[in-house]
Amino acid sequence: MAPPAQTNRSPSPSQPSGKGEVSDLKMQLRQLAGSRAPGTDDAKRELFKKVISCMTIGIDVSSVFSEMVMCSATSDIVLKKMCYLYVGNYAKHNPDLALLTINFLQRDCKDEDPMIRGLALRSLCSLRVTNLVEYLVGPLGAGLKDSNSYVRTVAAMGVLKLYHISESTCMDADFPATLKHLMLNDREAQVVANCLCALQEIWGLEATKSEEASTERETLLSKPLIYYLLNRFKEFSEWAQCAVLDLVSKYVPSDSNEIFDMMNLLEDRLQHANGAVVLATIKLFLQLTLSMADIHQQVYERIKAPLLTLVSSGGPEQSYAVLSHLHLLVMRAPYIFSADYKHFYCQYNEPFYVKKLKLEMLTAVANESNTYEIVTELCEYAANVDIPMARESIRAVGKIALQQYDVNAIVDRLLQFLEMEKDHVTAETLVLVKDLLRKYPQWSHDCIAVVGNISSKNVQEPKAKAALIWMLGEYAQDMPDAPYVLESLIENWEEEHSAEVRSCSALALSEKEMEEPVRLHLLTAVVKCFFRRPPETQKALGAALAAGVNDFHQDVHDRALLYYRLLQYNVSIAERVVNPPKQAVSVFADTQSNEIKDRIFDEFNSLSVVYQKPSYMFTDKEHRGPFAFSEEIGNISLGEESTGNVVPAQRIEANDKDLLLSTSDKEESKGSIHNSSAYSAPGYDGSLAAPSQTDLVSLDYKPTPNVPSATFAIDDLLGLGLPAAASPPPPPPVLKLNTKAALEPNAFQQKWRQLPISISQETSINPQGVAIMTSPQTLIHHMQGHSIHCIASGGQAPNFKFFFYAQKAEEPSTYLVECVVNASSCKVQLKIKADDQSTSQAFSELFQSALSKFGFS
Amino acid sequence: MPVAASAVYFLNLRGDVLINRLYRDDVGGNMVDAFRMHIMQTKELGTCPVRQIGGCSFFYMRISNVYIVIVVSTNANVACAFKFVVEAVALFKSYFGGSFDEDAIRNNFVLIYELLDEIMDFGYPQNLSPEILKLYITQEGVRSPFSSKQPLDKPVPNATLQVTGAVGWRREGLVYKKNEVFLDIVESVNLLMSSKGSVLRCDVTGKVLMKCFLSGMPDLKLGLNDKIGLEKESQLKSRPTKSGKTIELDDVTFHQCVNLTRFNSEKTVSFVPPDGEFELMKYRITEGVNLPFRVLPTIKELGRTRMEVNVKVKSVFGAKMFALGVVIKVPVPKQTAKASFQVTSGRAKYNPSIDSLVWKIKKFPGQTESTMSAEVELISTIAEKKSWTRPPIQMEFQVPMFTASGLRVRFLKVWEKSGYNTVEWVRYITKAGSYEIRC
Repeated sequence: MAPPAQTNRSPSPSQPSGKGEVSDLKMQLRQLAGSRAPGTDDAKRELFKKVISCMTIGIDVSSVFSEMVMCSATSDIVLKKMCYLYVGNYAKHNPDLALLTINFLQRDCKDEDPMIRGLALRSLCSLRVTNLVEYLVGPLGAGLKDSNSYVRTVAAMGVLKLYHISESTCMDADFPATLKHLMLNDREAQVVANCLCALQEIWGLEATKSEEASTERETLLSKPLIYYLLNRFKEFSEWAQCAVLDLVSKYVPSDSNEIFDMMNLLEDRLQHANGAVVLATIKLFLQLTLSMADIHQQVYERIKAPLLTLVSSGGPEQSYAVLSHLHLLVMRAPYIFSADYKHFYCQYNEPFYVKKLKLEMLTAVANESNTYEIVTELCEYAANVDIPMARESIRAVGKIALQQYDVNAIVDRLLQFLEMEKDHVTAETLVLVKDLLRKYPQWSHDCIAVVGNISSKNVQEPKAKAALIWMLGEYAQDMPDAPYVLESLIENWEEEHSAEVRSCSALALSEKEMEEPVRLHLLTAVVKCFFRRPPETQKALGAALAAGVNDFHQDVHDRALLYYRLLQYNVSIAERVVNPPKQAVSVFADTQSNEIKDRIFDEFNSLSVVYQKPSYMFTDKEHRGPFAFSEEIGNISLGEESTGNVVPAQRIEANDKDLLLSTSDKEESKGSIHNSSAYSAPGYDGSLAAPSQTDLVSLDYKPTPNVPSATFAIDDLLGLGLPAAASPPPPPPVLKLNTKAALEPNAFQQKWRQLPISISQETSINPQGVAIMTSPQTLIHHMQGHSIHCIASGGQAPNFKFFFYAQKAEEPSTYLVECVVNASSCKVQLKIKADDQSTSQAFSELFQSALSKFGFS
Repeated sequence: MPVAASAVYFLNLRGDVLINRLYRDDVGGNMVDAFRMHIMQTKELGTCPVRQIGGCSFFYMRISNVYIVIVVSTNANVACAFKFVVEAVALFKSYFGGSFDEDAIRNNFVLIYELLDEIMDFGYPQNLSPEILKLYITQEGVRSPFSSKQPLDKPVPNATLQVTGAVGWRREGLVYKKNEVFLDIVESVNLLMSSKGSVLRCDVTGKVLMKCFLSGMPDLKLGLNDKIGLEKESQLKSRPTKSGKTIELDDVTFHQCVNLTRFNSEKTVSFVPPDGEFELMKYRITEGVNLPFRVLPTIKELGRTRMEVNVKVKSVFGAKMFALGVVIKVPVPKQTAKASFQVTSGRAKYNPSIDSLVWKIKKFPGQTESTMSAEVELISTIAEKKSWTRPPIQMEFQVPMFTASGLRVRFLKVWEKSGYNTVEWVRYITKAGSYEIRC
């Protein structure tokens, strides 16, 4: 292992530090090396301890390697162990010196004490030096045949270690066959278990390479072997039992008698004190009975009590792991725990991660008979001081309501939440009420009466605001002051906007991005309101359309224009487009496909269940190498000279913010730059607002022939007249990028600050790409192949952020890209800035086509 | 694949590495840094015990002032990994004599490395039984000046044999002058009561703890008054059971020494016990729980600056029994200034660090009741709109010789081939688990 460099934290006083100490140690060790005086071992022991403690905290003590080896000639077993530990840690990076240790390790492998033989063999196999593998084969072979079972257990694992160092040496020595023989014949259960683990791993990895290996892997699941293991099952330690159960769960029994025999044999494992054994047994039972529906149900009944015990025994971490599994089961069979819902009531002092899963459980088990109790309990949590908990509880209530049980009572509860007058409660509840109304329009009367009383000033969260605005538009006829509330919201349009830009932290930026849905909703709501109550809304409509058209966000701008044109063309058609009669939503879309759910179920009792995604999404066989964090950090620190391998997290954040800050700085000056961009017409600011407003005031409920000059004026002003739209823009010349583009980090930062965003859009990345993207590096290499270079990257799964740059082949024109990848949703946010604005669209296409190939190459 | 841990780290709360053991090469050496940077230094600490960073998954647990972190690169078995940590900590505790904290680790780091070597090989859990490990990894061995001269003799081959043996939890040849068995039934009762006084949730988790000082290889048999066991017995003996309360256990788990096959067929708990202390079985009961205490709170908010708190506690267990260490914590708002109390027994005071009125009663006899009334004065604040949400009242207690489930030991038989006499001691105690009363 690479000893991590000393960090710049001050080491604690009890721990040694610094170079001086290491050379002191070296001196002292050298003195002791040859000494045979009594008491030497005690002195050595103290020194060894110091060396090990230095090694632990990350001081590089590899320089004392030769001295350590010299001192290792001892019969003291503790000294030996410390020495082995040291050697194991540093041998990989000092292969030449490691050779020195081979001699004494080999000698120890022949010691008469089995303990020492075992230890030496384990250390020998842990050296992890490729060119020393030849020395391993002999001792390993002897170890596997050792008369002592301890040595054999070590040797079995040793074979696996050898395989990981050098596959060919391991296969050439025919060790797997020896292991197999040992597995079938050894009288010691732990030897058998270690052989099994080693073989599973070796054949599993070999299977992709050779036919033979994959048949060998099949034989691990053959009937005789499975029966052999099951017959000896009780001999195994609890951990080995887990391994065997896992293997057996992959076995396909030939008939139902076999299944019953196995279940009868193993049923008592559900009573085992070790939760891991219980879970492994549960997995086996579920897998065995998949094809027998009625037995499968009985299994659910049988495993209920043990699972509930596991939830309540053990620490919160263990509960968390078990609750994740319960959640998976309850999604498949909601009824199993519906009578035991009280087990999922939250205790006041439990950590949030446990509470959250319990809430999900409560939501999932709710049915006709228990909904009232569950919702009552959830309402208790909603009043909780802990805000995240309160939010989650309200969401849970909403989810239950959407499941259609006892909606009546729940709507009452939700409306009570609104009366609690806590901002976070109100916000969450509004979102839910909106969803409820989409599903149960019949409740609108009760809901709207309460929602109408909420002051829009108390609603700040974008999601909640959007929900409130949607309801204002949708139920304008039932809310007396809807037009006026909307009007006041529109008045704040600009104010909100400028307020956001003033605060230029990363947070504000992300909030800003979320504001767009609010504006879109506002536009739609005003238009809907206008259809119902034209005279009262006219003024608001005019203001909204004017503000929308002036908005620099593309979607908002486009939607405002669309509405404007629609209204201008024909109001009744506009109504049919904007506000058609709605059908109640019957089922909200499920986010996970059944196929994925089944795959997670197949991987029961593993991380997949906790992450709620199948393993291929988070483990990546091809790129299993060490994940270099320091490299990532080095990249993101943008050429700043890093003093050590470790950069404190704050610095990254600071850098990240710096970059972000520059974008929001940019936004402030947007207005002026916008004027010159292709999309906007000159001088639209004040002049547009006035005519369009007066124009719209004259709109009425009949298709009015508008004053043509005004329309023309607007069209002209907007610079998007029909002629322009009719002739498609000439195809842009093919963009060629410089393959060897170079840009200094500082220059990048400067440019990023100066240039306006020319394109900002969202695109998607294909899932295969995401699957192999365990680190930012994979994407960076890919993009490099398309002459797009990365200057900084960061983040962690599922969110990665990159800054790319590229240059034109012929001229020094640069493109800068900020690319935010969300691996879980496969979405990519792009912000492109360019020296030459006119080619940025072409570059964007190029970039996206490169991105879309990611994962296929 | 059960665990296949790539690395195990012990860190203190500041993030300093205390122990660092790499088992596999598939993760980089800077995993500690990743953990520090992405979990310890962010708000995510404590939000979730399983986290994915890069291609690796981190499992972590906090135990006293230490974080134990397991790093894996595969789709590992989470439950197994956590269980392994728990067992390993129990093992370390048994070596250090009870405590597991930063100091204990710093003082024993060599020993911990030794143990980590034995209990996990290449990421696969091996033997974690303290009984066996103590045979060949001894703390005393480190001290003894002669141990270096003598190659470890007889016990070791024996030990190495046992490492892999079938009765892994007991070694042969134990001799005690006085053969004794101590059996403790420890129950913790969990309660969640609504403000209206109805029981929302109530259950008991019980443990049967044993301490055995028995010679040879004894066979033990334990009989409890649980329903299934009694029914089975009456079937076998074909006569009706004596009248008396029978208990229905929701679920039982046993120490690995218990012969589960025999439990399933005969419903008796028979086992060859490990030497010394161990947890024989755990059980869970949700029906027919006898709550030892009833708590009746009334809290009145009088205006903006005053509150009146009245709490009446009734003990509902036998009059001859008594509870010890009764503590009742009544939460009050943060802006509490002071409180004055009247109590019929015990002492009460306001503890600002936990924002609660704490009422302590050392000894609480059965079938009695006790009340506390308190006047609480609050500092008036401007933020009056935010009404105070009351956390639940929490209660702690211990009631010796009482079981909330009603479980009783009917017999404990010891059989050993030498036929010695044994002395058996049985104790019961019920403690408060999470005993919460909403108000």
